[in-house]
Amino acid sequence: MILIFRLLFKTCKKTTALIDKQSFTPLTIFDKIQLRGHKTVCKTCKSYQSQSFLIDAVLGKWFAFESNQQPSTLDEKKKNKIIEQIKRL
Amino acid sequence: MEDKKEFTKKIFEGWVNQFSDELFSWAFFKTSSKELAEDLVQDTFLAAFHKIETFEGKSQPKTWLFSILNNKIIDYYRSSARTTKKNRSLSEVTGTKLYAEIFNKYGCWKSDEIKGFWEHDQELLDNPEFNTVLQECMNNLPQKWNLALTAKYLSPKKTENICQELEITASNYWQIVHRAKLLLKKCLDLNWA
Repeated sequence: MILIFRLLFKTCKKTTALIDKQSFTPLTIFDKIQLRGHKTVCKTCKSYQSQSFLIDAVLGKWFAFESNQQPSTLDEKKKNKIIEQIKRL
Repeated sequence: MEDKKEFTKKIFEGWVNQFSDELFSWAFFKTSSKELAEDLVQDTFLAAFHKIETFEGKSQPKTWLFSILNNKIIDYYRSSARTTKKNRSLSEVTGTKLYAEIFNKYGCWKSDEIKGFWEHDQELLDNPEFNTVLQECMNNLPQKWNLALTAKYLSPKKTENICQELEITASNYWQIVHRAKLLLKKCLDLNWA
């Protein structure tokens, strides 16, 4: 009985790891069952999952914004300025 | 002699037009600042002009210019490391210690309190102050963890590059991100509310 309990219920430390792992690799069926079971009894881990998702959402938003903003060409003005400077040397 | 100098100037004009975009986007990727990246590219061309004698044509002009730019970038980080009093990011050892302190020896949360603000996650997403606090918490992370976490949101190609640069394996990668996120949660619990 204790063995079954321990198989089904991982610690919070391991559960939070599963929560973050799932965005990198698909979990095994066994992990999925245990994660779901754990969350129904542990409010702190259930809340950690939404916290982790929120952090993802915020950071995802920042970097989506930044990559749109990322310039890949140097301003023509700046190019001409460099050329002018070299000509004056 | 003057003819030679004029000739070099002509060559440089071509190089600026040909290579400055690539040099610039590399400098921007490394520094995340448009102004700084522009200045570094400019410095690179001026420095290259002054030491054109050392360019023997053994390597491609582009390779040569990139090596000068990389030195400029390193110089910049060295001098800014000297001027910023103290790096605010934690060491990896401290980070690992803080992570270990979140759970007790049975793997249970030391503090299972759920701060009320987490319930309003939709509002937090667009709350500028919350974004600022999260940014500050990110800055406190060990640098390697911060970069690993950042890499998660960049293009897969960039993620791969960053992991290679940080010498992180794929299986190690998600664990670093996981630890970084737990520290962010803890930092937000303490600093937001």
